[in-house]
Amino acid sequence: MTTTHAPTYRIPEITSPTEHRPTTRAKGDDTRALAAALKSEWIKASTVRATRAILLLTVAGGLLVSWAVATLVTDEVLYLSEVGFYWSSVSSMLAAIGGVLLFGSEVQHGTLAAAVAARPARWVIALSKTLTAAALGLVLGVVGLATGFGGAALAGLGSGDTSALAATLGWAVLFTTLSAVLGLGIGMIFRHSTGAIGSLLVWGFVIENLFTVFLPEQVARLLPFYAGNHLLAYNSDFDSATAIAIALSRPENALVFGGYTAVALAVGTALLYRRDTD
Amino acid sequence: MHPGRTARNHLRATAAISGIPIGRVEEVLAEVGLETAADQRAGKFSLGMRQRLALAAALLGDPQVLLLDEPSNGLDPDGIRWLRDYLSDFAARGGTVFVSSHLISELSMFAHDLVVLGGGRLLAAESVEAITSRNDTAVIVQTPQPVELLELLAGYDLVAEAAGDRLIVRGTSRAAVSRIAFDNHIRVHELTETSQSLEDSLLHMTRASAEFASA
Repeated sequence: MTTTHAPTYRIPEITSPTEHRPTTRAKGDDTRALAAALKSEWIKASTVRATRAILLLTVAGGLLVSWAVATLVTDEVLYLSEVGFYWSSVSSMLAAIGGVLLFGSEVQHGTLAAAVAARPARWVIALSKTLTAAALGLVLGVVGLATGFGGAALAGLGSGDTSALAATLGWAVLFTTLSAVLGLGIGMIFRHSTGAIGSLLVWGFVIENLFTVFLPEQVARLLPFYAGNHLLAYNSDFDSATAIAIALSRPENALVFGGYTAVALAVGTALLYRRDTD
Repeated sequence: MHPGRTARNHLRATAAISGIPIGRVEEVLAEVGLETAADQRAGKFSLGMRQRLALAAALLGDPQVLLLDEPSNGLDPDGIRWLRDYLSDFAARGGTVFVSSHLISELSMFAHDLVVLGGGRLLAAESVEAITSRNDTAVIVQTPQPVELLELLAGYDLVAEAAGDRLIVRGTSRAAVSRIAFDNHIRVHELTETSQSLEDSLLHMTRASAEFASA
């Protein structure tokens, strides 16, 4: 312990009772506690390397992938208003991973118990984490789009049809925001970061893609990431003519993806009440 | 604590969720002597430094009662002394410290009262003095005339056992043995009164409930 040293001053007398620690807990206190819990969650989220790594990956990946697609794909005419959204599929998955870590790392390192001890109302913990996850997803969504469009612009793509650009940007940001909250819900269910992230990636990149091939289009369009990705401006190369014909509208896709998010969060919150007892 | 988070940020997050002013973080960092390591990641901390950080988190709310489980675990001798002094000072300022520990010799240096549990039962809840004094004391006598003194003591109904040039006399005081020897012209080189250590007392109390014992 070479970096520590004994304190040199005498600490003040112990006061009784402290203003920080009221002896009773009222319902109004829980509501007021939300601001405190939010502040704590933001400190936790912004002071770990994982969050910074996800942000860095979103920036670097957005620039690189959009630039590479715009530069290397030469057999079709691409536009900024299309390529700029490509990276949002991946940045949504990165947001979901960030959401998982908001809860999973708390369980893994034992800090959840301290949080619950400080704020026994489980809904305060759940809501503060949900709002933090949403903020993280929002930031990643905006950054992913900015770098996605930036990379495509650096490659010199033309802007293309921009009539629906503003609306699509909004849907894309909603997708990453909801993805982070979905990740949080899955993290609350799994309570194990590696398992939750692994399941998310396998489901999102493998299982769901297989389902879209083998399931009837009427069913496939109700899959979570299928619906989420269709909030973006483009159709997947795998979409059949039938799938395009019966595609849900963006508000409907948002409802489907939001529904999965709400269910995951509700189950996760219920488990928080059940597992982390006083 | 998250190994990737610095000590300061760990305490900031803990303070924030408890509604404690963030400024208190610097105070507790100073109290536990971690100011210079405050911006190091907790994952790089030694076990002793982690113990200090955990204590700092416990102190954030300016508590009246500290409940610590094996707090000296992993501390170096300097750290153990610091912790002992800190906890004694905390108690002297009106606080109450509950320490759960298996390091009996360590406890004996600063604890006032002991609660002894064995096999899920309460074995004792007394002061350290009461626990150590309720066992027999013994007087050790070093003399060149052990046989004569042994016979004399038997005449006073005192039980003694010989160990070379020493006698161990139980059930009496040093003053009584000294008087008997002096009155009977027995030379004495050393006269020592011993009481059982706290460790001996506790081991004696918990012997019956020990789950595993060496042969």
